[in-house]
Amino acid sequence: MKRIDEHAVLRVIIATGISSVVTQLLTIREFLSCFQGNEIVIALTLFNWLLLGGIGTLLSRRLSRFFHPSANHLAWLSLILAAFANLQILLVRTLRDIIFIPGSSVGFYPTFVFTFFTILPYCLLLGFVLPYSLYLIRTRITNYPGAKVYIVDNIGDVSGGILFSFCLVFWATPMQAICLANLPLLLTSWLLFPRPSRLRPLVLAGSILTLVILVSGILTELQTLAPAQGRLVHYRESRYGRIEMRQDREQFTLFQDGVPVFSNQNLSMAEETIHYPLSQLREKPKNILLISAEGGMMAEIAKYEPQRVDYVELDPQVTSVLFDFGLLQKIEGLSIIHRDGRSWLNETEQIYDAIIVNLPEPDTFQINRFFTDRFYELARSHLAPHGILSFSVAGFDNFLAEPQRLKLSSLRNTVAAHFNHVLLLPGQKIFFLCSTHPINLGIPALLKEKGIETYSIEGFYHGNISPERISSLNSQLNRQVAKNLDEKPHLMAIMFDQWFAKYNTSPIIFIVALAGCVLFYLFRLSREEFVLFSTGAMTMGSEMLVIFAFQIYYGYIYFQIGLIVTVFLAGLLPGAWYGERLRSRGRQMLLLSDSMLIGLLTLLIVALKIGGDLLPVPFYLLFGFVISLICGFQFPVALYLRGGDNPAVARVFSADLIGAGFGTLFTSLALIPYCGLIWAAAGLIGIKCISLLVVVKSASR
Amino acid sequence: MKKINRRQFFLASGALLCSATSAQALWPFSRENDKIGGPADIRGTIFRKDAPETLWKWHKEAIFYKKLKNEQVRCGLCPHRCLLAPGDRGVCRSRANLAGTLYSLGYGNPCSVHVDPVEKKPLFHFKPQSRVFSLAVAGCNFRCLNCQNWEISQTRPDEIRHTELFPAEAVTAAQKSGSRAIAYTYSEPTTFFEYMLDIGRLAKKEGIDNLWISNGYINREPLLKLCRVLDGANVNLKSYSDAIYKKLNGGRLQPVLNTFKTLHDQGVHFEMTNLVVPGYVDDEEMIKRMCGWILANLGPNHPLHFLRFFPQYRLDRLAPTPISTLTRFRQLAMSEGIRYVYVGNVPGHEGNNTYCHNCKKLLIERRGYTIPAYHLDGNQCSFCRTVIPGRWL
Repeated sequence: MKRIDEHAVLRVIIATGISSVVTQLLTIREFLSCFQGNEIVIALTLFNWLLLGGIGTLLSRRLSRFFHPSANHLAWLSLILAAFANLQILLVRTLRDIIFIPGSSVGFYPTFVFTFFTILPYCLLLGFVLPYSLYLIRTRITNYPGAKVYIVDNIGDVSGGILFSFCLVFWATPMQAICLANLPLLLTSWLLFPRPSRLRPLVLAGSILTLVILVSGILTELQTLAPAQGRLVHYRESRYGRIEMRQDREQFTLFQDGVPVFSNQNLSMAEETIHYPLSQLREKPKNILLISAEGGMMAEIAKYEPQRVDYVELDPQVTSVLFDFGLLQKIEGLSIIHRDGRSWLNETEQIYDAIIVNLPEPDTFQINRFFTDRFYELARSHLAPHGILSFSVAGFDNFLAEPQRLKLSSLRNTVAAHFNHVLLLPGQKIFFLCSTHPINLGIPALLKEKGIETYSIEGFYHGNISPERISSLNSQLNRQVAKNLDEKPHLMAIMFDQWFAKYNTSPIIFIVALAGCVLFYLFRLSREEFVLFSTGAMTMGSEMLVIFAFQIYYGYIYFQIGLIVTVFLAGLLPGAWYGERLRSRGRQMLLLSDSMLIGLLTLLIVALKIGGDLLPVPFYLLFGFVISLICGFQFPVALYLRGGDNPAVARVFSADLIGAGFGTLFTSLALIPYCGLIWAAAGLIGIKCISLLVVVKSASR
Repeated sequence: MKKINRRQFFLASGALLCSATSAQALWPFSRENDKIGGPADIRGTIFRKDAPETLWKWHKEAIFYKKLKNEQVRCGLCPHRCLLAPGDRGVCRSRANLAGTLYSLGYGNPCSVHVDPVEKKPLFHFKPQSRVFSLAVAGCNFRCLNCQNWEISQTRPDEIRHTELFPAEAVTAAQKSGSRAIAYTYSEPTTFFEYMLDIGRLAKKEGIDNLWISNGYINREPLLKLCRVLDGANVNLKSYSDAIYKKLNGGRLQPVLNTFKTLHDQGVHFEMTNLVVPGYVDDEEMIKRMCGWILANLGPNHPLHFLRFFPQYRLDRLAPTPISTLTRFRQLAMSEGIRYVYVGNVPGHEGNNTYCHNCKKLLIERRGYTIPAYHLDGNQCSFCRTVIPGRWL
C-alpha cells in the first residue's frame, strides 16, 4: 500500500471546506438573482444543498467498496470539485434563460427542480469527498477518529465563511471569488498526488485545465451576465446583492438581483409616491424622511422646498448608481444616510413632517420589518402632530384577490393601531396614507392649491382613483385579520400564499412528498443518528431564528449578520474537540447536551418574550456560539456510540447534513411565517424533546 | 508514464490559458445570436375532471358547441375548440361539460364591476369622456405572462368572490351609474359570451352601447352573432408573430387577424392595441409588417395604440419599454399610412392626442383621462371639415 500523507489529506479537507462555503454562498446569491429574492429560494437552495450533500455522503459508503480509497482518486475528485464550483455558477446563469422564458419569473416547482439538478454534481461530490478522505486516512491509520475529519472540515468552513463575508464580498465578483476560493483546493489537490505523479502529463493537464476553467469564469463573467434586452452599463456585486444598470435606448433601469426596480422614465410612480402624502400637509413640509427612493422622486420633493430631506438607503452602491446615472438628483437640504431605515429611526431624535417608505414588496423577512406594528409605532413617534406616514404595496387593476385582500387587511389593521386615519388609494400601487388627521381625497385640488404641477396625477387620478374604487377597496378589508407583528410576521405567510397563487401552484405536493421521504429516512436511522439529525435541524433552525430576531431589533447590519453566521460555524470546532475528549461517556453526554439545547432555546423564548430589543448584541452571538458548540460536541459522541467505522461515519455525517437541510426549510418556510418566532423556537424544542426521549429510551435498555 | 519537461509544461499552460481567453469570444451561449429560450408554446390545457359536480345558479347552456359520441362535446366558441369529456373544463376555465351538455359557468356572476372613463379601455375615437359601466367574469382562453388581471383571468368563476348581476340588473346598474356604454372587459369577455350577448341585447334596446375589450381569440360564427350588438371594440394585437403569440400568450396569430377582418367587414368601430414588450415585440421590421397587413386588410382608419409595457405578473424581470421606442413606432406606423396612432401608458406624450389626418391640427388634447381641448364638430375636424373615423358625441 502506498504511503498516505495524512497532513496532505487534511489540507485538502480544509481547502474543500473553504471552497464549499464560498461556493454555497455564491450559489445562493446566484439563485436569488436568477429566480426570486425571497426566503423560499434561499431555503430551497440550502435544502437541496444539504440534502444532496447528505446523499453524497451516503453514497461514499456504498461506492468506496468499488472505488478503493487512494490519494490519486481523492486528488482527482478534488480537482473536479474545484472545476465544478465554477461550472455550477455558469450553468445556473446560462441555463436559466434557455430553460425558462427570458424576462419571466418562475414558480416553486421549476425553481426546486432547477436548483436540484444544477447543484447536483457539485453537492454529491462534495458530500462524497469528506468521508472518502477519512477512508483514505484509515487505509494507513485504522483507528483514525472520524471526528477529527469533522473538526478539520469545520476549520475549512469557518475560514471560507470569514473569507467570503469579510473579504471576497467586498472586493471580488462571483467568478473571481469562486476562482480565489478554489485555488487552495487546486493546489492542495495537486500536492496530494504522490510526488512522482505530480509532473506526469495527465496530472498536469488536469490541474491546468481546472485552473483554466476557474480563470475562464472570470473572463466570461460579463458575457454570462449580459441581459437579453438592452446593454449592461454598470455592474457591481454589493454585499446585499447584485446591482446592474441596464440601458435600453435612452432609458436606464436599475436591476437589483435580476428584478427591475427603478427606471428614469417612470414619472407616474415618482409623482404618486411623493405627492399623495405631501399634498395632505397643511404647511410646507420642513423635514422629510424618505426610506429608499426611485427615479424622479427628488425632483418632485423639491417642488415643496423642504429644509431637510433625509434619504435613507441601506446599500451605498444603490445610491451611488442612482445619482451617477441621473435617476436621482441632488436637491437642497438632501442628506444621504446609508443605514437600515429602521435602525435609523431607532436612533435619531429627528421629528419629520412626512415619512415616505418606498420599499419593494414585503416578501422577504428583511423588508417585512418595515410593515410591522413596531415599525409603525416607531414611525408615529417620529412624526410631527400633523405629520403623515405613507407606504405602498403592489396594486391590482380590477379585482382584489383573496391573498391580496388579506395582505391589505393585515397591513391596515396593523397601522390603524397607531393612526386615527388610514386610507388606501388603489392603483398600480396601493398607497397607505396614515395620519392623526383626516385624509383629503381631493389630491389634484390640493396640489393645485399649493401650485404644484403634475403630469400623471392631474390627468389620471379621477379615472383610476374614483370614489367608487376607493370605497370598494376600503370596504373589502377585513378587520378580523391578524396584525403583522415582528415576532409573528403574519404578512409573510400571506406573501408566501400569494407567491404560490401567482404561479397557480400549491406547496402541498412538496410537503407531502417531503414528509414521506423524511419519515422513510427517519425510520432507517439509528438513535444516535436521529440525535444528530434533530441537532442539525435545530442548529440551522436556531440560526434562522437568531438572524431573523437580530434583524428585527437591530436592522440589517451586514457585518453583524456575517458574524452570526460565523459564530454558528465557529462553535462546532471547539465543540467537536471537546466531544472527542468526552465521547467515552456516551449516552450520558448526549442526554446532557440535548437537555442543554432545550434549555438554551427556552432561554431564547424567555428573552424574546421579555423584550428582544433589550438584549445586547453579544447575547445573540453567544447564543449562536453555544448552540453550535453543543452541536459540534454531539458529533464525535454520536459517532463513537455508532462504532465509528466507515459505514457509521457516512451515516452520521449524512444525518447531520440532512437534518440541517430539513431544519432550514421547516423553520424559515413553515415555523416562522406561520407560527411566529416564539412558537418556532417551541417547535424546535419539540424536535429536540423527541431526540431526548430517544436517548433516554436507548439509555434505559 | 513519461514526465514532461519544464518547457513542455510552460507551453501547455500557455496554450490552455489562451484558450480560456478565447472562451470569452466563443462563449457558447452568447445571447446575441441565440434564439429566445424557454417553452415555445404556453397554451393552456383542458382541465380533466375539474367541472363542478352539480350546476350552480350562474350556469347557462353554451350556444356554440357540438355534441359528440359518449357524451363528449366540442366547444365552438374560440379557436381552441376544446374537446371535452363529461366532467372536463375547457382551457378558459369557465366552460364545462356536464353529462354531455356544455355550460357556461359565468352567467350573471361578475367578479369585477366598475365605472371607468372610455379612454381607459383605451378607446380614443368612441364618445370621448363618456363613462363606461365595465364588468368581467373570471376566465380567459389565453395565458399571457404579462396579464395585468391575472387574478381574475387565470382562475375559475366558481372559486372567487363575485356579485350577482343578471343581464337585466346589469343594464339597470349601468343606467343608474350614468354610463352610456357597457364594456365587457378586464378578463376575456369571450369566455362569458352568453352573458355578454344577453346583456348586449337588453342594453341595445335601452340605447346603451356595447363595448368589447378582447384578445380577439374567437371563432367567426360567434363573433358574427356578437357583432349584431356591438358598438365598439378594442382588440389586442399582441404581436405580429405567431411564435411570440405562442410563447408569451398561449394563442395563435391568425385567428386574431381573422377577428379584425370580421369586425371590419361588419362595420364595427374598433381600435387596436399593441403592447410593446421589450425583447419580444419591439422589432421594427415586425411592426412594419404589422402595419402593412393592417393597411392591406383593414385600411388606414382604425386607430392603433402602442402601449408601454411595465413588468407585470410573471413577466416581471424585463425593464419597461423605452419611450423613444414607442415614439419611433408611432412615427413608423404613421409613415406607413395608418392615420391615427397613439402612445399609451406615457403621460404627457404627444401621442396621447388626436390630430386630424388631413390638416394635421390638434383635434383632441388629452391629459390622462381629461380633455382640455376638443376641436371636432360632430364627426368632422372643426378646422378642415374632414370626417374623422370613429363614433363621436
